[in-house]
Amino acid sequence: MALREVPWRVASVFCRHARPVIAASRPCNRRNAATEAFEELESSSSLAVPPPSSSAEIAKAFDPVARSRGRKLPPSRYQYRSPKYYRGPLHPHQPPPVSDPSSRLFQPGPFTLPRLEQTYQSTIASDLLTLTYTHVPPGYRAPVKPQRLREWAGDSPYYKGRPLRGPRGGSNLRLLTPPATFRNIPEITKVTVHSMVPEAQDNSAVLHVAGMIIQAITNVRVRSHKAKHNVVGWGLRSGKMVSITANVEREDTFHFLAKLVDVVLPRIKEWRGVPGSSGDNSGNITFGLTPDAVGLFPEIEANYDMYPPKMIPGCHITIHTSATNDRDARLLLQSIGIPFYGKLVN
Amino acid sequence: MNAGQRTTRRLASKAGSSICRSCRETISHNTYSTAATAAQTEDQNAHKVQHIPPVASTSPSTSYAVNAGVVLSRPPLITRDLHPFESAFFLYQRRLNERLALPFTRYFYFKKKTPADIEWKRKIKQRLTPARDIGRYKGYGDEAWNDELLVGAQESDVQYQVERLLEDAEQPATEGEGEGGNGNSPASNAETSTKSITDGSAQKVDHELVAKPMPRITEADRKGDVKSLDRLLQRTLYLLVKNREGQWMFPQDRLVGKESLHMAAERILIQSGGINMNTWVVGNIPIGHHQHDIQADLLKSSKNPNELGFKTFFMKARIMAGQANLLENKLGLADFKWLAKEELEKEVEKKYWQSVKNMLAER
Repeated sequence: MALREVPWRVASVFCRHARPVIAASRPCNRRNAATEAFEELESSSSLAVPPPSSSAEIAKAFDPVARSRGRKLPPSRYQYRSPKYYRGPLHPHQPPPVSDPSSRLFQPGPFTLPRLEQTYQSTIASDLLTLTYTHVPPGYRAPVKPQRLREWAGDSPYYKGRPLRGPRGGSNLRLLTPPATFRNIPEITKVTVHSMVPEAQDNSAVLHVAGMIIQAITNVRVRSHKAKHNVVGWGLRSGKMVSITANVEREDTFHFLAKLVDVVLPRIKEWRGVPGSSGDNSGNITFGLTPDAVGLFPEIEANYDMYPPKMIPGCHITIHTSATNDRDARLLLQSIGIPFYGKLVN
Repeated sequence: MNAGQRTTRRLASKAGSSICRSCRETISHNTYSTAATAAQTEDQNAHKVQHIPPVASTSPSTSYAVNAGVVLSRPPLITRDLHPFESAFFLYQRRLNERLALPFTRYFYFKKKTPADIEWKRKIKQRLTPARDIGRYKGYGDEAWNDELLVGAQESDVQYQVERLLEDAEQPATEGEGEGGNGNSPASNAETSTKSITDGSAQKVDHELVAKPMPRITEADRKGDVKSLDRLLQRTLYLLVKNREGQWMFPQDRLVGKESLHMAAERILIQSGGINMNTWVVGNIPIGHHQHDIQADLLKSSKNPNELGFKTFFMKARIMAGQANLLENKLGLADFKWLAKEELEKEVEKKYWQSVKNMLAER
């Protein structure tokens, strides 16, 4: 089509260049297994017939069912099943990559661009940066932080070459908060929903119901966990299934949090908010919901009768953020609409 | 040391006097030759060097006035329109999900012969696919392979998908009830705002009405009303005012006394837009600045020839509710507009735009 508009001489120059390619694609005299199939494909190729005037016409005239009737391809030519087991890198039959829909591990998605994510990108992120940014004059060099691990001080010859000791009061080093820039604005990385139902040790139906409910509200398959130890005070027996978790990631995170903030939390009666002391000092904040509050999720509420009465569990929700301290994480959660009460710790 | 720093240093050496002294010294410090020697001495000098504050020049013969400006913005109210590729991709993924997911287990979710079960059967008979907005998907039969939508299919139209969702949300009215029956169940009557309310007789009602979503384009958009806050719901709008000289710019004023930028921003908002705006000044630091130099010939005739011009530091603010009203403004403002970023570019001066454009959100 484009060739028609350019002058003849220019077109002929193009064609001269294109000729070797056409020659290469022409079926040659040698006979091999693919030749027949190639001819079959080439017979209806668009190269042979003059191009239609517009792409809309092609689209309208395209009828896959009619096209397939003339074709008579055996199913093995268009059906493919990836190998069930991975037999190593040297095996001739390799499974397709996970991103290929024909892979057994393929997960479709994303399906939407969540509203909360768009709000974060357009409004919340820039506000957080404005709130947390600290200006330093040009030429300023941040003071060098001393070694945070302690050395082994003493006369013992065994101290030499020993790895450094952890900080006083705990074995873990706390996360350092780097200066706020546009690259490290805190964001929500994932949400973990956890529900512990010790009654499941006697009646496994409780665990199934809890699993279905968490699955319904998070849109994620749940994993069940066993009790590791006997704890008499809590009535736990080791080896028995007692709890359910769902790791909510990517798109589902935003849908879940939007549901929580816009639908569930405003309807909980006499709810004060998330305690300000919640958090693990490294930007992950946890709070709990009672069974009544879990029943307020739209998925549960729409079909409340389906679940056996008195088996709807409460749950703990951990919101993981990329913030390195709880203060920044709280700022992020407040900006998406989660209230905090009481003394704000750390 | 990486290539980035080397480039910076090279630029700094070329820039000459346009870069401030402390910057130039920091940059020129870190050469390859000095790096080795500096490494030894740095540890001892580190704590001394870092606490030297930037020193103001000793002879303040010439200076700039300091202004505070306010970038008052209304964030986007609705989601943005998806790019055609995005919507096509999402639809493709949803149909792919329909293909790969296990069949819907009806008996798990609905007990037999309950209203929910009957309702589900009615709906699935209509749309023949568990998902509501992706059109008909046939996963079984001889032509199961033919499950891709063709170019120009109505299912790929966003409006079509919205209509399918609305159609699905419509519940059929409770059947077998006359006027008396409706009177007996006030709760269900209140929930279902049915068509029968409009006509007095108890007619057979086919379905419950569902509130349609509001249009994404408002009246203000159609009229081109730039003073309304209801326009361009998908975009961030910025308050732009016309000052005494007839220039369009963000509201700004000189700092008074010892007030901070934050306090000044709050004052300027009240003095320019009136008290009828619910605003929030975000943080205590400016998000950008603009330097205005007075021309050399005008400088000689000005009252204070030592003042070379003014520097405006912009504070970020959000409007929650209300509207600007310039009737009682004390800054001599003549007019105001709520504009998106690319509209703003056409109104302001080119130099002003250069210093302002990077602090405005793209969306």
